[in-house]
Amino acid sequence: MNLLNKLKLSSREASLGIILLISIGVTGLINPRFLTGDGTRDLLTSTSVVALLAIGITPVVVMRHIDLSIASTVGLTAWLIADMCAKNPDFTWVQCFVVGPIIGTLVGVVNGVLVAWLRLPALVVTLGTLYIVRGLAYVISNSVDYNAQEMPPSLIEGLGQKVYFGLLPFTFLLVIISMIVIAYFMKYAKSGRDAYAIGSNPPAADLVGLKVTSRTFLAFVFSGAMAGLAGVFYLMRFAQVDSTAFYGQELAVVAACVIGGVSIFGGTGTVVGAVIGALLVQTIQGGLAALGVDAFWKSAINGLLLIIAIYADRVLAVRNEKQLLRQRIKERI
Amino acid sequence: MAKKGDLILEMNKVQKRFGGAVALRGTDLKIRAGEIHALLGENGAGKSTMLKILAGVHINDGGTIKLGNKDFMTGSPQASIEQGIAVIYQEPSLFLDLSLAENVFIGRQPKKGKIIDWKFAQSEAARLFKELGVELDPKRQARGLSIADQQVVEIAKALSMNANIILMDEPTAALSASEVERLMTVMKSLKASNKAVIFVSHRLDEVFAISDYITVMRDGATVSEASVGDTNLQKVIKDMVGRELTEMFPKTDNKIGSVVLEVNDLTNPAYFRNISFNVKKGEIVALAGLVGAGRSEVARAIFGVDKYESGLVKVNGVPLPAGSPVEAMARKIALVPEDRRQQGLFMIAGVNRNISMESFAQLIDRGLINFKRERALTNTWREKLSIKFNNQADPVDRLSGGNQQKTVLAKWLATDPDLFIVDEPTRGIDVATKAEVHRLLNQAASEGKAVLMISSELPEVLGMADRIIVMREGRQVAEFSRKEATQEKIIAAATTGVKSA
Ligand SMILES: Nc1ncnc2c1ncn2[C@@H]1O[C@H](COP(=O)(O)OP(=O)(O)OP(=O)(O)O)[C@@H](O)[C@H]1O
Ligand SMILES: [Mg+2]
Repeated sequence: MNLLNKLKLSSREASLGIILLISIGVTGLINPRFLTGDGTRDLLTSTSVVALLAIGITPVVVMRHIDLSIASTVGLTAWLIADMCAKNPDFTWVQCFVVGPIIGTLVGVVNGVLVAWLRLPALVVTLGTLYIVRGLAYVISNSVDYNAQEMPPSLIEGLGQKVYFGLLPFTFLLVIISMIVIAYFMKYAKSGRDAYAIGSNPPAADLVGLKVTSRTFLAFVFSGAMAGLAGVFYLMRFAQVDSTAFYGQELAVVAACVIGGVSIFGGTGTVVGAVIGALLVQTIQGGLAALGVDAFWKSAINGLLLIIAIYADRVLAVRNEKQLLRQRIKERI
Repeated sequence: MAKKGDLILEMNKVQKRFGGAVALRGTDLKIRAGEIHALLGENGAGKSTMLKILAGVHINDGGTIKLGNKDFMTGSPQASIEQGIAVIYQEPSLFLDLSLAENVFIGRQPKKGKIIDWKFAQSEAARLFKELGVELDPKRQARGLSIADQQVVEIAKALSMNANIILMDEPTAALSASEVERLMTVMKSLKASNKAVIFVSHRLDEVFAISDYITVMRDGATVSEASVGDTNLQKVIKDMVGRELTEMFPKTDNKIGSVVLEVNDLTNPAYFRNISFNVKKGEIVALAGLVGAGRSEVARAIFGVDKYESGLVKVNGVPLPAGSPVEAMARKIALVPEDRRQQGLFMIAGVNRNISMESFAQLIDRGLINFKRERALTNTWREKLSIKFNNQADPVDRLSGGNQQKTVLAKWLATDPDLFIVDEPTRGIDVATKAEVHRLLNQAASEGKAVLMISSELPEVLGMADRIIVMREGRQVAEFSRKEATQEKIIAAATTGVKSA
């Protein structure tokens, strides 16, 4: 509880957590395997990539921007790392974990320069880099795919298969660590608070002298770096890669954030919410799979979930506003 | 620290242009420690531009600025803050998603080691609020605060910066009498602690009540500067406008006719209960009361922007369906809303488009918009309300605050309604145009139209209204005829809810 308080988790995250537990329970009723250590491990493994990306774009979204280039970055990074390892058989997981974020950072720098300095709209800029980065992946890969044999065993069988306490995969442990670090940072560091202020009222952020440009730039660089790391996670999970890897998944990440309470209008939301959002989407998908629902319905239900989440936010916002107004009227008396 | 009376700010021949438009052509301003200095001028005279230069938002193109014996470092809001200048802008600039404590300390959060010390920030904010006489909860979100309380937060911010010079751009424009009083107390205590306050206002009674010095600007240049004892209202107005102003409230006795608007037992429990009144042809009825008493909400419910729970609105004897502004407009009702930036204007559209927006019928010629007529319409209102802009197609967000107000007013006046509901019609508008707005409203009434006016400026209410209805906390507490009404009676009813004899 104390930790919850420290990270200033609003009731939004708490109620999401409860919804998550309920859906895990329901899914467990349908498919008891889901509640076992193996089931949990599978859920966490399959959520790692999206959850890590959701953490990465949260600061960007909080600042009222968006980063759509992340899924392309995951694909390009994953392919480049596989290629690097195939050509250097003595490389281990260490090189992968260094090179991945570097490649992502480069994409983030491009986005950051265009959005922060040239003040171009993030939606358009990152849609552009989405296509450019994916195009690069097509061109560079030249239709070459890689499989587990060409990748370092220390990455695929070593870390990729590593599980703590029989249920916590290494990748998700990293997700949790970065979530805690970033949550703490966004609550207690000046630059973290600036992000909320910038997203809440951009012109006022300029007026009070916040460093809007450099903060925005750093948010995009961070998002890119996390996407690069997610590229490594992708390899660890799938142990194969081609130029279409993770194609079109950026919106799943945005959906996870929105479901987790990170408002696309900026100013509110936490990385904890974003991670819970990612888990929730994955759990419901797992439940639907257990019920034998086919893929089309799964994606339709995802969409429905998104709309319900936005609607719930709206209802909460209106209620919040009314309550604040009542408080104000009471204060006057 | 400067002693009382020391010159701490000196602006000399400051110039500023925006593209081709000259906003300041040579303004001088001298500020001493421990003084309250009023900066006056017509809408578009360049007051906000002056303050924004000091705030570091704009950089002046010419002239010199000295702070004490140092040169002022222009360039960024951060630099101005560091030089001890704090600003409360004309447009509210709080972060609505953040807590009040955070708003006070944004960009300068107190730290313990490397991390923000929230406990200290909260207790400091609470202490500052208490000092300002308003005990707001520092953990509360800024969303939903009244304008008066938003200002308290902004002032607390200025205090926490330990600024020597505090700039306030039309701080009283959206406040009611008692809130103005509270602000004045704060200004006096700032003065007592040897800080300088520069404030802009179009309410001249206030200006004379509180300021020590008055600088008047016209067309981007300083025309006069005098201590308050050496000048007077007529002289100040003459300096501002360039001519004598004959009458502030050109009230005529109109023939009162049949009932146009009838409101019966209107209730929306969140905002107001059991409101019943009518407005007749040729009549101006004012809704008075504190800001937040529910007056604007009543107006919005009548017009159909908001729904109401029970009650009935009739226009010319025929019930008006609830919740339909389209129907209200079809029945020739116009509403000039209170929050013009959000509800009244399309900020990035041109002045001409904004003014003609609700008068399309007049502009249509064989099925198409006749742009010549649009231009003529815009010019008519530009002259009538002396709206200041360079080009008809200039986006509204480039106009000065007062000229934006005038644009909304023009838009609705142009529709030529039968019932005119105006919410704070002269907020932020300069004296000369204020008189002109009063004349136009009065003329509308004399032509047999009905006017329902919400105003927090008591002289305006007393000067214009035939009948005054006072609201308090969502209830109708008193009604006065023009003859009965006095400032004291209205204030008493608005604050205590009791109609005194
Ligand atoms: N960003 C801008 N771009 C172009 N013109 C501008 C800009 N800001 C101000 N102006 C122009 O500069 C002139 C002075 O504007 P300013 O806002 O200083 O007036 P003001 O004295 O504060 O008026 P008000 O009493 O209406 O607030 C106006 O004619 C306005 O149109
Ligand atoms: Mg102004």
